[in-house]
Amino acid sequence: MNPKPLNWTRHLLRVSVVVVLMHGLTIWAVPRLIMDRIIDLGTADSSLERANGVTLPPPTDHTQRRIVMPSPDLLYATCFFDLADGPIRVTLSTDYPRYWSIALYASTSDNFFVVNDRSAPEGRVDLTILPSSHDAATSKVQHHGTQVVISPTRRGMLLMRLLVNEDPAVRVSAEAARRSIRCSRDARRSAAV
Amino acid sequence: MSRHARPQRILLLTGVYLLAVILGVGSAWLWLTRVGISGVDAGAWRVNLLAGSQDADAYTRARIALGAVLALGRSETLYYTTDHDDLGDSLRAECRYRIEGLPPPARWWSVTAYAADHFLFPNDQKRYSVNGETVTLDDAGRFSATIGPPADESRGDPAWIPTAGRGGMRLTLRLYGASESVQRAPGSLAVPSIRRVGECP
Repeated sequence: MNPKPLNWTRHLLRVSVVVVLMHGLTIWAVPRLIMDRIIDLGTADSSLERANGVTLPPPTDHTQRRIVMPSPDLLYATCFFDLADGPIRVTLSTDYPRYWSIALYASTSDNFFVVNDRSAPEGRVDLTILPSSHDAATSKVQHHGTQVVISPTRRGMLLMRLLVNEDPAVRVSAEAARRSIRCSRDARRSAAV
Repeated sequence: MSRHARPQRILLLTGVYLLAVILGVGSAWLWLTRVGISGVDAGAWRVNLLAGSQDADAYTRARIALGAVLALGRSETLYYTTDHDDLGDSLRAECRYRIEGLPPPARWWSVTAYAADHFLFPNDQKRYSVNGETVTLDDAGRFSATIGPPADESRGDPAWIPTAGRGGMRLTLRLYGASESVQRAPGSLAVPSIRRVGECP
């Protein structure tokens, strides 16, 4: 018995759907895969100095080949977080006189929050990062005294930037500033859940 | 004949659908790596207004992740990038370029040179960018800088960004705390000119 002839119209339609789906899936997945890799590598890299839950990479030069287009004029500090085990508390107290900022990124690569030396003129930052499943209004009450930031994704990262130059005094001051940031599991998590 | 027809058909259809998967992934990759990023043009430069933004569409988000992951939003930083000079010719690491212009109206600005792989050029002086602190202004208030292979006159010149090797090059102009008028209309910025100096080797 001969098999039925192929219905090429039907298969062409299916093939088109597969092409479109794979195209869209790739576009959707690229930023997530890149961020996953950055977070995984940053979390696992034991060669980087750490303090207070924050990773302190060395000053940027051409040997930095982990993240594209690094700025050689900035000193960085990073904190990788996973909100599965509860909120993350971020505090900073600095009198660094030049530009600095703290930016939060979702695992989709979106920058969902930023604070800098002008929006925190006293150099004080006190944030509680919560997953989007938390009720924002309730969380604000539970985390009274800190600024509540809702992360759109469970995993993400904090990136602190400090503008530096070749002046050794500026470098020392920037180093002290980035060491004053703390990024850790919120001790009051039981009240938040 | 009929005993072989079914396996052959399965093989044929598997091949067709595999090709569809390759076509879907490949077309996305080509789009991301070959099609220029969308944005607003200012001279030879282009600024993407959705970099780092939660409002970015999927294509912009993917392109930014590939070429400038961890960018900040426009209220914090504007990133103007280019891979060609004012005449439209591709920037080359082995050529010398003169960058000239007025200091952009921003709290702080810099021009950084990147190799085609989006990483910094190796150089023993660790000089990768020029900014408002490293350039000197002429009587008209304009700055100028050189980007190209190191030469005798480049050593010790803070306004010279040494390049290395041959191949493509990309420049990024960063504006931290840009003035409100530039944030509103990034295309109106009087961007630095990029002019090739001499012949390329």
